[in-house]
Amino acid sequence: MARYTDEELKEKVHNGFIVEYPDEMTEGYRKALIVQLMVQADTELVSAPAYFGAAKDAPSTNTMVSATAIIQDELAHANIAYRLLEDLGLDKDQLVYGRQPHEFKHPYGFDHPLENWAELVVANGLYDRAGITLLGDVFKNTSYGPLKRALVKVDQEETFHLRHGEMWMKRLSNAGGEAKAQIQRAVDWMFPMSVEWFGLPDDMKRHSGQLDYKLKGMTNDELRQTWMQSTVPLCESIGIDVPAHWSEADQKYVLDFAFPCEYDEDEKRWLFEEGEIGWDQVFERWKRRGPSNKAFVEAIQDGRGFRKQLEAAA
Amino acid sequence: MACTTSADRFGGDGGGTALLDAPSAYPVPIDERVGPLWDALREVMDPEIPISLVDLGLIYDVRQDGGVVEVDLTFTATACPCMAFIHYDIQDRLQREPGVEDVRVNETWTPAWTKARVSPEGRETLRKFGVSM
Repeated sequence: MARYTDEELKEKVHNGFIVEYPDEMTEGYRKALIVQLMVQADTELVSAPAYFGAAKDAPSTNTMVSATAIIQDELAHANIAYRLLEDLGLDKDQLVYGRQPHEFKHPYGFDHPLENWAELVVANGLYDRAGITLLGDVFKNTSYGPLKRALVKVDQEETFHLRHGEMWMKRLSNAGGEAKAQIQRAVDWMFPMSVEWFGLPDDMKRHSGQLDYKLKGMTNDELRQTWMQSTVPLCESIGIDVPAHWSEADQKYVLDFAFPCEYDEDEKRWLFEEGEIGWDQVFERWKRRGPSNKAFVEAIQDGRGFRKQLEAAA
Repeated sequence: MACTTSADRFGGDGGGTALLDAPSAYPVPIDERVGPLWDALREVMDPEIPISLVDLGLIYDVRQDGGVVEVDLTFTATACPCMAFIHYDIQDRLQREPGVEDVRVNETWTPAWTKARVSPEGRETLRKFGVSM
């Protein structure tokens, strides 16, 4: 029997109550927290094979050490989130090795191959920034104590990834020529991908349990704006075009493309010219998952055969 | 976290390099690290902890010959994830100094870095940051 009713718990967390133990949760709180942690854990996990594909393209051994250090961080962050899920009664091994690729909850953006060093560093600059935006908000606002404490280390390390992305985006853009063109091409498909990652606009958003239970503090549109507030000026400062601008009239960043819109996975190109589509179509695309979904999850699960042999021998 | 090696398992002298750690044996002794180039390098921070590369003891020497500046640089560990950052940050900062046209960074592992190379000021900074030395 839970100690509080759902309404009591919602009120308590908004008055500063921090949940520490499962018996302080309601079923609704527990379910919302599990969804949040699963997205977090799966995103960190799948970013590892995604980044690894491009880390192999590092321009020197020193830079490969930086890239693989980032991958190691991401795996550690995944480990932290799965560990927190274990406290809620879930089984980490089952979550990592027992699910089909399409059952993982990471965003659609991480279902796409990163094919060169420019794509890796733009992923650090844009996707890791989206990660910091989301997790920074969770850190500041979450009512779940164990997650808040765990995120101190995660946020520090994600800042390092972001710095890696910014430094290389600047460097390659300053180099001009093909290096800059590669950064531009990567931003062209990853900028709208990140914008879409933040999800349904607030005027369409169904009731949010995560806000009610204070598992996060900002709405989707607020998070999207926060992300654009640093991404757009960064790109503008290095001469990289982005399909968004600051609107004095609206006092916010405004997108210069039909949003949401369809994406050509083979050409890695957003079909702005075909105009706006419905969010139901976006959800269908997300549900179908992207071209690298299976390969990335299998890269993680490859060790399963060895696990079985060791278990059999034990 | 800083990519410092754990010197403890080698004993307090940081791996049998105690002789090198006598300030007189430093490539450039602490009290001779003066002038605009050293000052510029004092503005270049470690990417992970709030300490300058000079205070961390990573800069072994800096020399200028006309428009060319040469820096001898080491790292705290061979698997330091920040090697490229540090290398480029040094170049970017020194290129802003008047009269500097080219910055060459020599990465060297000899003599080895040990935690004894951290300056007294750096030690104080790290202590406040929560890193025990």
